[in-house]
Amino acid sequence: MFGQAILNDNLPGAKQHHWSPYTDNGGTIVAVAGDDFAIIASDTRLIQGYSILSREQTKLFKLSEQTVLGVSGCWCDVLTFTRTLEARMKMYLHEHLKPMSTPAVAQLVSTMLYHKRFFPYYVSNIVAGLDQDGKGTLYSYDPVGHCEKNRYRAGGAAGAMLQPLLDNQVGLKNMKGGVLPDITKEKALMVIKDSFISAAERDTSTGDGVIINIITKSGVEVMHFPLRKD
Amino acid sequence: MASERYSFSLTTFSPSGKLVQIEYALAAVAAGAASVGIKAANGVVLATEKKHRSILYEEHSVHKIEMITPKIGMVYSGMGPDYRLLVRQARKMAQQYWVTYQEQIPTAQLVQRVATLMQEYTQSGGVRPFGVSLLMCGWDEGRPYLFQCDPSGAYFAWKATAMGKNYINGKTFLEKRYNEDLELDDAVHTAILTLKEGFEGGMTEDNVEIGICNEQGFRRLSPAEVKDYLANIA
Amino acid sequence: MSILSYNGGCVLAMKGKGCVAIASDRRFGVQTSTLAMDFQRIFEMGPHLYVGLPGLATDTLTVHERLRFRLNLYELRESRKIKPQTFSAMVSNLLYERRFGPYFVEPVIAGLDPVTWEPFISAMDLIGCPNVPEDFVVAGTCAEQLFGMCEALWEPNLEPDSLFETISQALMNAFDRDAISGWGGIVHVIEKDKVTTRLLKTRMD
Repeated sequence: MFGQAILNDNLPGAKQHHWSPYTDNGGTIVAVAGDDFAIIASDTRLIQGYSILSREQTKLFKLSEQTVLGVSGCWCDVLTFTRTLEARMKMYLHEHLKPMSTPAVAQLVSTMLYHKRFFPYYVSNIVAGLDQDGKGTLYSYDPVGHCEKNRYRAGGAAGAMLQPLLDNQVGLKNMKGGVLPDITKEKALMVIKDSFISAAERDTSTGDGVIINIITKSGVEVMHFPLRKD
Repeated sequence: MASERYSFSLTTFSPSGKLVQIEYALAAVAAGAASVGIKAANGVVLATEKKHRSILYEEHSVHKIEMITPKIGMVYSGMGPDYRLLVRQARKMAQQYWVTYQEQIPTAQLVQRVATLMQEYTQSGGVRPFGVSLLMCGWDEGRPYLFQCDPSGAYFAWKATAMGKNYINGKTFLEKRYNEDLELDDAVHTAILTLKEGFEGGMTEDNVEIGICNEQGFRRLSPAEVKDYLANIA
Repeated sequence: MSILSYNGGCVLAMKGKGCVAIASDRRFGVQTSTLAMDFQRIFEMGPHLYVGLPGLATDTLTVHERLRFRLNLYELRESRKIKPQTFSAMVSNLLYERRFGPYFVEPVIAGLDPVTWEPFISAMDLIGCPNVPEDFVVAGTCAEQLFGMCEALWEPNLEPDSLFETISQALMNAFDRDAISGWGGIVHVIEKDKVTTRLLKTRMD
């Protein structure tokens, strides 16, 4: 009786304290794969609630000379996930005496995510790189490891905003015309820049700057350009 | 209840089809101090006589010309206390319009609504008609407006008109003096001359009140400005 | 799921040079089932004035009728055509009167001023908080996608033909990424001396 009264949290003035192991640190990833290249880009803002934690935090992780991983979501999960992934890749290297191919990394990412099916990493992943034949390739994931091979993908906070834009500008959806040629590097870069500028206008968690990784057979080239900082 | 039994409208038709209460109200207006309104090409002027019964009276304490919205002004002939209620209601109606449409009420709309209110007081139980006629001036969509509103709820748009004591002479005077392309300054001048027609005693800035409305909006002239205009009449 | 996304659907409006455009999808559904592909959620409120009412379909109809009622009274009482700004305030006022039991619609208004022919667009939330920007407004279940498209495709001073192309591409690509919007589109381009209404053929899945 007395105990019930104490446990009754409907009493006026009673407060409930909730704690969540997850937080959303925002950020956006965009990636486009061409015939002999793959481009992946992320913004450099890290947020928590209305606060900006960093204006220069890349969300791209170079996993090998031909594979880059883009991650956004809960930053602590991003860190844990990428460290574990890097360790798993090193183990593969020692065991097989060769670096992992992009499709192999893609499969590993899926497996690792699904292994935490009931306490998932709160992350939105995109793996970009070149496959064994030197072709641009790209895989996107949901937090529990569902994997899809794409030609272009937007993920993270402004993913929903940018995906239709990529459908239109890269996938040439709802456009007149016949067969679509593979996208050129220049056009891909232009669309990626435009998409981030658009996202920075409307998504508060995206902004400050963009880091672009261009993956070709000669390695990973890094570019940077600024976004609005408000 | 006794109060319910007797709370029918006092404004009842006479056998000849008149509403005598309204005619009495108009008589109260005709006995009131004179007011004049004149529309000019670039504005409107309202002017009124403000007689004081005693030299002990503080002259510039109570006003007969009132602003309703930044672009609408109002004056009356008849009973002062009735007028104050109408001013309050008119201001309220203007604000009501503003909150629904985020737009200043057009003069014609305000006049229509005030007229509706005045009409209600000719048909409701437990009330009497207002003992005032109103002159409302305004400026919207690049042109001036001047309306008169009577106790019956009837309203008219005028180029120029006079109300209150001696209004017949005032109107006759205006009919002679009025022309369409009058400038606002000349209209103020004409308004003063019209008031002067039936004025008893000398006109001073203490017993004449003037309001003007133009592109910039409505404002009441200061005693000093009125004095300047008065000095200009021959 | 929110009542606002029970039936699905979206509306979008854009300003151009001496013209405005308003567009929407044509789906009517209940949650994930599509029941009709010819639903009207944009209404003509005057020769140069349109309102789109995405949200709960029953409220789309009710709010449209109540707006008609108020607008007819206004235009009779004032014997003049309403300005888009004034109509926007009227919509806002209607919605805020139901502040604590709202209509589940997010109106979008597009029109030309009947005197100056100045383009006007506005949008508001379900309780009538207005947003009157210089470029475009979006509402409905794929608002986020529409924002992304519009932000990238829209530019100032579009001529009527380019405005049509821009708004159509924005609309189609946005609702193709929304499961409960699409199934055909409709676009009205409002100019001083004509209104062009076109139906869009889109993917129907």
